Amino acid sequence: MIFAVLIPLLIACFIPYLSKIKHKIHTGYFVFIIPLVIFIYFVRFIGNDFTPVRQTVNWIPSLGINFDFYLDGLSLLFVLLISGIGALVVLYSIFYLSNQERLGHFYVYLLMFMTAMLGVVLSDNIFVLYTFWELTSISSFLLIGYWHFKERSRYGALKSMMITIFGGLSMFGGFILLSVITGTTSIQQMIAQSDMILTSDYLPLILILILLGAFTKSAQFPFHIWLPDAMEAPTPVSAYLHSATMVKAGLFLVARFSPVFSGYELFFIIVSLIGIITLCWGSYMAVRQTDLKAILAFSTVSQLGMIMAMLGFGTEAAVFAAVFHILNHATFKGSLFMVAGIIDHETGTRDIRKLGGLLTFMPMTATLALFGTFSMAGVPLPFLNGFYSKELFFDATLGLDAATILSQAIPYLAVFGSIFTFVYSMYFFFGVFTGPKQFNLLPKKPHEAPMGMLISPIVLVLGVVVIGLFPNLANAPFLLHAAQAVNSGVEFHEVSFWHGFKPPLIMSLIVVGLGTVLVMTRKKWASVYTVLPGRLSFNKAYDKLIEKIDSYSAGVTNYYMNGSLKTYMTLILGTTLIVTFIFMLLTNGFALSTDNSADFSVLEISVVIIMIIAAIATIFMNHNVAAILVLGVVGFGVAILFVTYRAPDIALTQLVIETISVALFLLCFYHLPKLKKSTDSAKTKIANATIAIGFGALMTAIGISAHSSNWFDSISEYFIETSYTLGGGDNIVNVILVDMRGLDTLFEIAVLGIAALAIIGLIKYKKNKGAE
Amino acid sequence: MSNLAVLPIIIPLISAIILVFFNSKVNISRGLAKLFSLINLSVALYINWYVLENGSIILETGDWAAPYGIILVVDSLAAILVLTTNLIAAACAFYAPNAGLERKEKFYFYPLFFFLISGVSGAFVTGDLFNLFVFFEVLLMASYGLIVLGGDKVQLRESLKYLLINVFSSMLFVTAIAFLYAVVGTVNMAHIAQRVQEVEQQGVLTAIGVLLFFVFATKAALFPLYYWLPKSYVVPNPVISALFGALLTKVGIYSILRVFSLIFVYKLELTHETFIWIAGLSMIFGVIGALSTNNIKLIIAYNIIPAIGFIILGIGVLNQESLGGSVYYLIHDMIIKAALFLIVGVIAYIAGTSDLRKMGGLINYYPFLGWLLFVAAFVLAGIPPFSGFIGKLLLLQGAFKEGEIAIVIIGLLTSLLILYSIMKIFIKGFWGDKDAMGDFKKKPVKGMIAPIVFLLAFSVALGVGAEYFYPIVDSIAAYLLDPEIYIDSVLKE
Repeated sequence: MIFAVLIPLLIACFIPYLSKIKHKIHTGYFVFIIPLVIFIYFVRFIGNDFTPVRQTVNWIPSLGINFDFYLDGLSLLFVLLISGIGALVVLYSIFYLSNQERLGHFYVYLLMFMTAMLGVVLSDNIFVLYTFWELTSISSFLLIGYWHFKERSRYGALKSMMITIFGGLSMFGGFILLSVITGTTSIQQMIAQSDMILTSDYLPLILILILLGAFTKSAQFPFHIWLPDAMEAPTPVSAYLHSATMVKAGLFLVARFSPVFSGYELFFIIVSLIGIITLCWGSYMAVRQTDLKAILAFSTVSQLGMIMAMLGFGTEAAVFAAVFHILNHATFKGSLFMVAGIIDHETGTRDIRKLGGLLTFMPMTATLALFGTFSMAGVPLPFLNGFYSKELFFDATLGLDAATILSQAIPYLAVFGSIFTFVYSMYFFFGVFTGPKQFNLLPKKPHEAPMGMLISPIVLVLGVVVIGLFPNLANAPFLLHAAQAVNSGVEFHEVSFWHGFKPPLIMSLIVVGLGTVLVMTRKKWASVYTVLPGRLSFNKAYDKLIEKIDSYSAGVTNYYMNGSLKTYMTLILGTTLIVTFIFMLLTNGFALSTDNSADFSVLEISVVIIMIIAAIATIFMNHNVAAILVLGVVGFGVAILFVTYRAPDIALTQLVIETISVALFLLCFYHLPKLKKSTDSAKTKIANATIAIGFGALMTAIGISAHSSNWFDSISEYFIETSYTLGGGDNIVNVILVDMRGLDTLFEIAVLGIAALAIIGLIKYKKNKGAE
Repeated sequence: MSNLAVLPIIIPLISAIILVFFNSKVNISRGLAKLFSLINLSVALYINWYVLENGSIILETGDWAAPYGIILVVDSLAAILVLTTNLIAAACAFYAPNAGLERKEKFYFYPLFFFLISGVSGAFVTGDLFNLFVFFEVLLMASYGLIVLGGDKVQLRESLKYLLINVFSSMLFVTAIAFLYAVVGTVNMAHIAQRVQEVEQQGVLTAIGVLLFFVFATKAALFPLYYWLPKSYVVPNPVISALFGALLTKVGIYSILRVFSLIFVYKLELTHETFIWIAGLSMIFGVIGALSTNNIKLIIAYNIIPAIGFIILGIGVLNQESLGGSVYYLIHDMIIKAALFLIVGVIAYIAGTSDLRKMGGLINYYPFLGWLLFVAAFVLAGIPPFSGFIGKLLLLQGAFKEGEIAIVIIGLLTSLLILYSIMKIFIKGFWGDKDAMGDFKKKPVKGMIAPIVFLLAFSVALGVGAEYFYPIVDSIAAYLLDPEIYIDSVLKE
């Protein structure tokens, strides 16, 4: 199994070489074989006595991250969709994309996606699943941005990535919580220990985080906005990623975790509600679109909502209907996308306002579209699979425990959404193929598509018809296993066209009846869209958000990053002061006693007073020389203090340094800018003074407290004892500098050397520059 | 064998001194720099192997016994950080000749470079708080030299702020060491740890710890002390920015990691809880900064701050997962930051500007560079299977275990925005029409690409091959959690 998952990625490595001969052999032919082989490999698993298969390949066992592949009914359904539709899409793309395009890139991304998607549906390990999940987002990003020279493509690619990776990250958060709570990384083991999860305090958080992942990926309201913009991708991609497979990853995730959450009220409420809203909003908005692919995109949104809602219901009937519809949707929607691609390819436009009357020119395409749209609309005909799943859906909405307002409202909302589904389906078909011909508006003269392009949609439409005629064909050996993986209570039941004059049928008839009326009168009620959504636009909200992220962050950052050293120092000193002060208080740090202090002599006191006066005076000096000299007083004061403490060598050092620095200052004072009188407001001055005094006071307090907390003997005793015996010197300071802590000295010397080099570099570089 | 401990410090020091003499011979300098960086790298590799096999290397310099002399302690953490440092140094040494340094190479670029490496390695291996200060001075002085190299007006302006803020924090550093010495009467870190433990970090000790934290936090560029960083990191040549971005702030965060897992660990509810707050704020404000600009170098520079936030998060949470996460993230971030600075260096070089608004369509000319940036963006954001993912996973797991939900959510959102900030460069700079930048002339970049590939390969290996690295990091985390091991190994009790 691991081989099946990774083979597309492995082959992808060779695609750049194969694409070099694209003018002789279209690269697609090489690629086509891969999903076909995978499909054949997995189709063998279909059967009444199917049992789940497991395979483990170690990756990071010490973190519990391994390729644990688990093939159950649900995975099998998705694997076959991914490989089956994948093969058809690649076949179709051979005729859709000319060999002038960058085919190498296209197929590398596509194969990358294939591996990613197979990985998502087969991984039992949550972190591996997450890895593949993000890889689907990345490959989708690259495919949407395939024609990256178009502004809309770049926009759509970024949008899809931001929204799906946002969801991916929150799902990742949910996964981490799950792994921390259950101590395992395997989904199946989590299902086995669902009690632990259901009794956790974090349950609502986990649920919301994981559902965010599912909803963003499956384009659920209000995250659906990325999907219509994803239509900038080449049509084969739209058919594959953005209708048949990737957008169903969210459904897969919800289905996968259903056994864990299904008993939880909030799960039902959120998933059903969001699903049903998405169904209604998507189908309502689809009618308003003028671009064929946009109609299909909103239609996909709405259908995904419908399946999501059914997974939320979680009843046996609903779950079976959901998996049934996942299959059906892939067939009719896939074919419709291909039809849209054909129309675009052969007429040069996808704008439904310019199209019309194509029936006689493109009879094959029209026939395919007829089956696709009518199946999508759920027209009650015995050879359309869409009707069956819609019936089952209605049935499921009626089978809910009617205790809450939500479950009472759901059947009505379902009918409402389905009416609009009917309307846009009819609008799509009749708008394109019947009505007045306006060929002067078309960039190309329309004609039937080449046979190669028609093969894939024909196969899919055959699927529609075969499932329609024999709805139970795939039931027991295939779909039942998938449904049981979601809800183990699902039992085999016959799907039939006629099951009496029951509520679901009545609902279907209402849909068709009212739908027909609405189709006829579409122009009259189209103004309703100025009321709802009117100015309400989730796209605008997203655009605003992105725009605001940039402008707000610039605003915030420029507010404090104003380039002024004074501001920086104020903030640094202020923060250090406040936080350290609080810590001193909280930890009882103040120990201001003078018990350990030595006596002060008059000399010391007078020197210190002079130093204090000089230090304060520095601030008020308006002239360079004066400031330097006053500062010098402080330095020389320190030297005198060293003398009084009987440290002549340190005093000497201090004197030398002080003399040199005063001299240096005076030497370059000519080049220094004149000190300006401070122009700060009184308020700023007071604030600065407070921080400065506060900081000084705090440091003094900590210093005194540290001195009073003298709990240990200092290691300096050892130096005094061993200075002569081990160090061979009478002067302890010398022995410390050159021996005991020789390493310090070595590197302090290095520091001086570095400073010298840096200064030489700075000066010479400048000089040479002037010479050039 | 304990003399091994001094090699990572002394070899770069000697290299630097030798290179001073070959200063005007650019070709010899280049060759020697490459050679020395490779020697360093192999020594670091050997030391790593040795430490993993035989445990920490303790060197009592000048044979002055602990805790009296300066003790060098190459434990597994120090060893792996020295190795990472030298990986980056090697990449930079090979990148530098092609980096468009021009005449700057003749003005002690290579000596300063090796002084910097010596200082950084020294900071990692020293077991003495005052000696740590000395190595801080070494690396800072070298960084002052590098940052002003060239002496442009804007460089000097930004360097002055950089220098003044760092001089202030160095002053605070010595002061804090003096305070600490007044209380515990020692500067050996193991000895300090032992004595702080004895009195259960009572009284003024926590406040002194907080002062030290502010010193390190200023170097590490944590909220709210990072003002000096973004602009001063973008003014020098990209190869210097890469060294700074990869190493300097990391020395600061390493010091926090060391001091607050070894010494000040007895008032966790105060100190470490605060770290978690700071982590969150660093992430938010850092990434906001990254989104605020169209200057590609500045985008990367701002991205240093949230990364440091992630690392301090692990220190704040202080359990085995989170510490492992911090160490993993630290190594990951050193490598990827270096790679990203080098990448934007190439981009700015070929585009002739750092302004994203003036770029477009570069992928038509430099597809490989584009994909390197693309991969680097996902590495940085912590998307699997790359190195950032493992670190982030551990950090967030650790945080969840302690019930720190809010910070995890902030961390995840930050990751998204980090990704966005880098993808902006990809989308606006690389995607687009061939003639988006007008009449575009291709410049050769071959010598600059190889070091980037070298670094990115490690990022990928750290993620995909986590099985080889994670157990080491996990053992480091366990080691850090138990200060006794360090204390005993140094004081031999």
